[in-house]
Amino acid sequence: MEILIAQIFNGLSIGSIYVLLVTGFNLLLLVAMIIHFSFPVVVVFSMYISWVVMTLTGSVTLGVVGGIASAIIVNMITAPMFQHIMKDRGSVDINATMVISMGMGMVITDILSHTFNQGFPIAFPDALTGNDQGALISVGLVSISRGQVLTLVIGVLFVAFLFWLLYKTRAGRAFRAIAEDPNGAKLVGIPLLKTGFQSYALTGILGGVTAVLMAVLLGSASAGLGDQLGHKVLAVSIIAGLGNLTGGLIIGLLLGILEAIIQGYLAGSWSNAIAFIVMLVVILAKPKGVFGSKL
Amino acid sequence: MSLTLFYYLAITAIYILMSWSIYIPYRVGQLHFMTVANMAVSAYFAALMAINFAWPFWLVLIAGTLLGALIGFLVSNAIGDAPCFAVVIVGFTFIYLTKTIIENVEAFGGPLGIFSIPKVLSASADNRTLLLIVAYALVLITGFLITRFDHSRLGRAASAIFIDRDLAVSFGVDVKKMGMFLQTWASAVGGMAGVMYSFIMRSVSPNHFTFHLIGICMTMLFVGGYTTMWGALLAAPILWGFPLILPEALQSWNIVIYGVLLIVVLVIKPEGIITRPMVKKIESLLSGKRKKV
Amino acid sequence: MAQNDSILKINNLSVAYGHVQALNDISLDVKRGEIVVLVGANGAGKTSIMETVLGANVPVSGDIEFKGMHIGGVPVDKNVRNGMFLVPEGRGVFSSMTVMDNLLLGAHHNLKNSTEKLELVFESFPVLGERRTQVAGTLSGGERQMLAIARALMSSPEMIMVDEPSIGLAPIIVNDIFEILVNLNKEGYSILLSEQNVYKALKIAHRGYVLETGKITKSGTAEELLNDEAVREAYLGA
Repeated sequence: MEILIAQIFNGLSIGSIYVLLVTGFNLLLLVAMIIHFSFPVVVVFSMYISWVVMTLTGSVTLGVVGGIASAIIVNMITAPMFQHIMKDRGSVDINATMVISMGMGMVITDILSHTFNQGFPIAFPDALTGNDQGALISVGLVSISRGQVLTLVIGVLFVAFLFWLLYKTRAGRAFRAIAEDPNGAKLVGIPLLKTGFQSYALTGILGGVTAVLMAVLLGSASAGLGDQLGHKVLAVSIIAGLGNLTGGLIIGLLLGILEAIIQGYLAGSWSNAIAFIVMLVVILAKPKGVFGSKL
Repeated sequence: MSLTLFYYLAITAIYILMSWSIYIPYRVGQLHFMTVANMAVSAYFAALMAINFAWPFWLVLIAGTLLGALIGFLVSNAIGDAPCFAVVIVGFTFIYLTKTIIENVEAFGGPLGIFSIPKVLSASADNRTLLLIVAYALVLITGFLITRFDHSRLGRAASAIFIDRDLAVSFGVDVKKMGMFLQTWASAVGGMAGVMYSFIMRSVSPNHFTFHLIGICMTMLFVGGYTTMWGALLAAPILWGFPLILPEALQSWNIVIYGVLLIVVLVIKPEGIITRPMVKKIESLLSGKRKKV
Repeated sequence: MAQNDSILKINNLSVAYGHVQALNDISLDVKRGEIVVLVGANGAGKTSIMETVLGANVPVSGDIEFKGMHIGGVPVDKNVRNGMFLVPEGRGVFSSMTVMDNLLLGAHHNLKNSTEKLELVFESFPVLGERRTQVAGTLSGGERQMLAIARALMSSPEMIMVDEPSIGLAPIIVNDIFEILVNLNKEGYSILLSEQNVYKALKIAHRGYVLETGKITKSGTAEELLNDEAVREAYLGA
């Protein structure tokens, strides 16, 4: 029972990472109308930048700032590229944005595996992860680390902030209007490109925060992590129903818990495989998602 | 023939087949990366059958192709008419699972893979010549079948689905059947390429069948032009060939080069280099000349 | 301001979608305080005129003047800011969003006085006040049309374009909607209306234009058009 509690807690903290990533992915899908498959690759790239800054300056704070900044910058730089092909919304099919995003993922992943740390996985300093300070709470077999608590708390706060922004603010209203009916939104005077651009900035911040949280929680990163996460995020998003924010929240947390529980019984690569098999079965049975698509 | 030339020609044939295996289901707008998993499964199947049971090459080739088709068919029952991104994720998942199983099961040689797959003919030179002839014969056959398909009523129905799925349905096109047919066909081509790969390289390892392979095939298809089969045919030898003549230091960056090329082409010329009107023009020029003669 | 100066003036406007010519050499004007109706069959180009004025389409040639400014090619959000708003065909309300959200979207470019504007709107449309937290998808057809019109008011426009408001509504409700439009006009809003319900539309309008396949074939005061033989035969079934 105690082990189960520890696993569930662990699952929730990993799950909150998935939720953040899926929410970013869904926002881009709904507002900017792109399938940004490589959004998690951008996040992993930001982890690397954060690591470089920390290694060079020795300052954790600067590293955190650098990681967040890099996610925003990458998102803003790539935005015009996506927007260029989405100008002709009618004639361009959305799959083209997915292929471009995959191309982007290829480039970033390969650069990461070539240049940083000679291609070896990177490890974040204890000053960031807090691993040297031992567990925060430790009762019997249940041991909960600072990183897990931090990830969960900030994850929940950030998702709450996003939902507040979407449902209570002017920009959020415009986001939702575009998500429901881009043409109708245009006719009431919402500038599509400008609002789309705002969504790139917002998901940039989201990606940066996620990168820092992942650094804290995982303590390390490798070049292949982005592809793996991209794969999981797309799967979660499809299972939840593409663009369904609440669905993404639930399925993201469930995936985290499922993985944590399987990990209790099976070695690394097999536990991942089982999670993928479960996802595969759900997708094969319900290719349009469990909660229905918002597109 | 030098070994370098042999490998260049042989692998080019594999890439043409694999790019076509992506092209075939993309006729209805599905990115069916499952074919890379089919390639891996059939490559391992070929290696194991040839080594452990001494199956002859031809039998393995046929069985490996059928195995690809069978897996493709079974999966297509679920995703024949699924939206593109669902097809993508199913493909990725199969690739991932195949890789995990190969790496963790002793009988498949683990991360190192399987070595010393027997030659088809005992003399090395003869073996290579035979493999090249078979590989390009398969390219010719597959290319011929694709041309026949593209110019048939079915090909036009597929184009209709690509452009406007709902409209195609209202015209009475069976989207699911078409998707299933194309996915099964593509998986068969993937399996075929896998068997050939096994016998050409004479070794298989899980690292051969990764997202890199998808990236390369996708680049060949979209840079060459996804609207006709000729794009991949032209792009494969060029894209596979040019990193080989680059200086050593740059060669290892080929994935970055492919990725940048893919993005640039999609942004500047979304239809790729070879487009349908271009092919039409060339066809009419050729037939015009024939008439004059 | 003088009653008879134009708020909207269109000169020799042509619009094409790809190779299809949608509008051909259209000239018309709307004077301040007027209701002008565009009459014509489906596909005659009524919606194209409105969307082009709004800035959703870029004209091939010709000139559009709004309040004396040339606005050909100006994007929608700028035009909305300048004081025009379109109530699209089929209402165009966002059915997954609340009544309140829909109204506030009308004031997207200027939320400053939105509370007072909301009060005014709820005063004129008490139904919407009662349902402000309801999702727009749960409203009836007539209520949605009211919401779409109220949303237009939220943008403080000077000219409202209303595209086919009566489509899919029961005759009694159509009367209500037309009454609302007349009242708005009395309050000073200029209205460009497109309608297939030609008789009712001409009854409330000051002037009208008859469109056929992208061209204006007839124009005049509402009375003239109502008495015109050809118009009666083609659109009034008499």
